[in-house]
Amino acid sequence: MEYKDYYAALGVDKTASADEIKKAFRKLVRKYHPDISKEPDADAKTKELNEAYGVLGDPEKRAAYDQLGSAQYQGGQGFRPPPDWGSAFESSADNDNDFFADLFAHVGGRRRNFQMRGDDSHAALQIDLHDAYHGASRTISLRVPELDGQGRVVTRERTLSVNIPKGVTAGQQLRLGGQGQPGSGGAEAGDLYLEIQFRPEARYRVEGRDVYETVPVAPWEAALGGEIEVPTPSGRVTVTVPANSQGGRKLRLKGRGIPGSGTAPAGDLYLLVEVVLPSADTEAARSLYQQMAREMAFNPRAGMGG
Amino acid sequence: MEQAIQGVLLDEAALTLEELARACAVEPGWVVHRVRTGILLNEAGGQPEAWRFTSVDLVRARELARIEQDFDASEELAALVVDLTEEVRRLKSRLRLLGH
Repeated sequence: MEYKDYYAALGVDKTASADEIKKAFRKLVRKYHPDISKEPDADAKTKELNEAYGVLGDPEKRAAYDQLGSAQYQGGQGFRPPPDWGSAFESSADNDNDFFADLFAHVGGRRRNFQMRGDDSHAALQIDLHDAYHGASRTISLRVPELDGQGRVVTRERTLSVNIPKGVTAGQQLRLGGQGQPGSGGAEAGDLYLEIQFRPEARYRVEGRDVYETVPVAPWEAALGGEIEVPTPSGRVTVTVPANSQGGRKLRLKGRGIPGSGTAPAGDLYLLVEVVLPSADTEAARSLYQQMAREMAFNPRAGMGG
Repeated sequence: MEQAIQGVLLDEAALTLEELARACAVEPGWVVHRVRTGILLNEAGGQPEAWRFTSVDLVRARELARIEQDFDASEELAALVVDLTEEVRRLKSRLRLLGH
């Protein structure tokens, strides 16, 4: 358990004015913008900045944070404000500080007499490409802030088992009704939105429902053509490589991309031919290459001009 | 282990105006204004009750709201930033496809 210093996160003093805090936040949020920044930890940093500013940028929350922080320090208690989604569950850099609205509502009793629907929460859910082809059930864990019997803030781990429907694509949102922030005064909970992301895999690239798969082939397979067996996300398929295929050639397998869902049709699978040379590390291999060099009259740089 | 939760995939069941506003923590009027000015839901006409928003609209709306709040940006400026961000992401994904 560790106290999170939001002032340090924004690089300002505890006495900083609202304007100084705003300026510091804007400067840093630009620096670490995940779409632009070259910093390796840009995502995590952005999340941290948003969390810190979500509290320090709001005078009421800032005052409560200052008070809570020092009170808990004196009492020697750990204080753990951030919601800190579990490991299977990487939050997408924002809205996480909704937790604070909730925490302070409990602590200060601000909303106690109101009936208010809980806020919606957002997070990202990383899945394998395989899951989009076949559907899957995944267990995610999230930490939920709660007050214990002594009125201290504790986090409770909550696991959810989520069905991932066949045919999902990156960027799609999965809505789990009633799994967001709890409501107050007996009102219903908000919804939880999960943004689907694919875990990067070296062999596959995905664009919408189309999938690109790199397939290594031997020089003779590329030159002479023939049938090869390829493992694809939907199982092994036998594909005919046309004779005289060069590296980079695309073979399209219609309908073998990510399966259709609703009215959206299935995507296509593109096999990208990559010619791989056997190394000349035996006498036999060297002699075959030497024979080709003598007999093929092949100049790959013929088209380059002088 | 609890029973598996069946999520609803947006795009099969797109969001209404109220649902989108709630998911972005903004007022419905905020959304209506940005649809009317062409920032959200390209070329939507008709009554707001008939509008439906997909996953892409949700991501876009949340980013617009975030830029406006973080930088006190005008809605046009926020829209420009989000348009450029979307273009950068599109180009980066093309680059990845080309193996860079």
